Amino acid sequence: MASKAILLNAHDDVATALVDLQKDEQINASLGDRSVDVVLLQDIQFGHKLALRDIAKGENVLKYGLPIGQALEDIRAGESVHVHNCRSERFGHRHQKYGVNA
Amino acid sequence: MKILGFQRPDGQLGIRNKVSIIFTTDCSRFVAQKLKLLFPQSTQIFGYPGGCAFQDGPVNKLTALGNHSSSAAALIIGLGCEGTDAYKIADAIAVTGRPVEAIKINEAGGDIMTVEKGSHILVEMIQNASMSERVEMTPADLVVGSECGGSDSTSGLASNPLTGAAGDHLIDAGGTYMHEEVSELMGCADVLAERAVNDRVAADIRSAIEEAEARCFEGGRFSWGYGNIQGGLTSIEEKSYGCLAKSGTKPLQGLLRTYGALKGQPNGYYISMSEPNSGTFSGDPEGINQFAAHGCHLAMFTTGCGSTTGGLIPVLKVIANPTRMQLIRDNADFDATPIIRGERSLDEMGAELYQEILNTAAGKLTKSEIHGHYEV
Repeated sequence: MASKAILLNAHDDVATALVDLQKDEQINASLGDRSVDVVLLQDIQFGHKLALRDIAKGENVLKYGLPIGQALEDIRAGESVHVHNCRSERFGHRHQKYGVNA
Repeated sequence: MKILGFQRPDGQLGIRNKVSIIFTTDCSRFVAQKLKLLFPQSTQIFGYPGGCAFQDGPVNKLTALGNHSSSAAALIIGLGCEGTDAYKIADAIAVTGRPVEAIKINEAGGDIMTVEKGSHILVEMIQNASMSERVEMTPADLVVGSECGGSDSTSGLASNPLTGAAGDHLIDAGGTYMHEEVSELMGCADVLAERAVNDRVAADIRSAIEEAEARCFEGGRFSWGYGNIQGGLTSIEEKSYGCLAKSGTKPLQGLLRTYGALKGQPNGYYISMSEPNSGTFSGDPEGINQFAAHGCHLAMFTTGCGSTTGGLIPVLKVIANPTRMQLIRDNADFDATPIIRGERSLDEMGAELYQEILNTAAGKLTKSEIHGHYEV
């Protein structure tokens, strides 16, 4: 069966939607030996990310096996992970200067 | 397929066999192109499409390209008064033992005499090149680059990670793999410094990325906007990692800042940069030909928006966007759309892409070669 979300590194905390996904859908993301099933708590658009595990406020969020930012609040498995709940300390503060209020 | 390389007098092994026609300035480009049209088979044309240029950059670049493993011999066409002196470039190429000749249009007697003299030279060079000795190559002899252009969201999710996986396979087989575009690695300094083989390489990559970041902040030209966020990217790091995904997972052996820097270095993973003021093309073809100047035998090129580009080395186009793949199939070399459709894994398709690298090295023509692309 075709997978609806892609896991880019076995250590990742998020998968990326390959199609528009609906709330309550059960999604499987797998790579190599790792396979994660998660029920979506909200709609996720193509190209956007869903949490594969509960992520605590302040934790690094990994994609490609690398930190894309830190959780701004507790994030539950199945929730969207994006600029509203995740931000990079390194560059996040500069977004506003360049027109993006993240 | 066996990879039967072409033996060069300086010990290099090429996967293609071309006689180079090199123009040293805009003013000699037209006459050089006349020669290319007279002898379209077995020749390639490139040069410095600029003015008088009293700089080292273009000379170094043209010399590096004339000495490329696929270049069997070189004919240099100059006007006569430019800084990128045809004889100087010829001397630098002659050091490698390749047959090389230079003609200055103003000395030879204009278009007609240059074309006549150049034609006699090319006939002999092309025939001699066809008799180049063939030597079996292994994957360990190969140097391969990866570039992205016309990127969309499928680039970071599928095609870039695929080239990284293929690069890992090449390095496992003993080969050398590189990508460029330091300016797109913002936020990746820590990650790459950790992958460096020693402190010197770590400091080098860190300073190159931090310089690029500082330039972007100073100019206010930060590669980040609402479109990225709407597309699902959360941070600049995430965007950069999509580009960095081309890098695979192997230790970083070094940053190649000058053409020829790879010589004598161990095989493995590298990041390459262009020499200052050495731009001889623009856009994506410039990236491809920078790989050639750094010694790459061929390059992978990932695109979501599409591209037809060729270059002085075979270009393997990797496309993961299903709509684009449908539209531009006759210019695409590797169909990565099964990953976006969720049907195949990155691991499986990375191994297939590596196989396609070997096929191309063995002589399989890429689409841009079939179309006869040369971007001058």
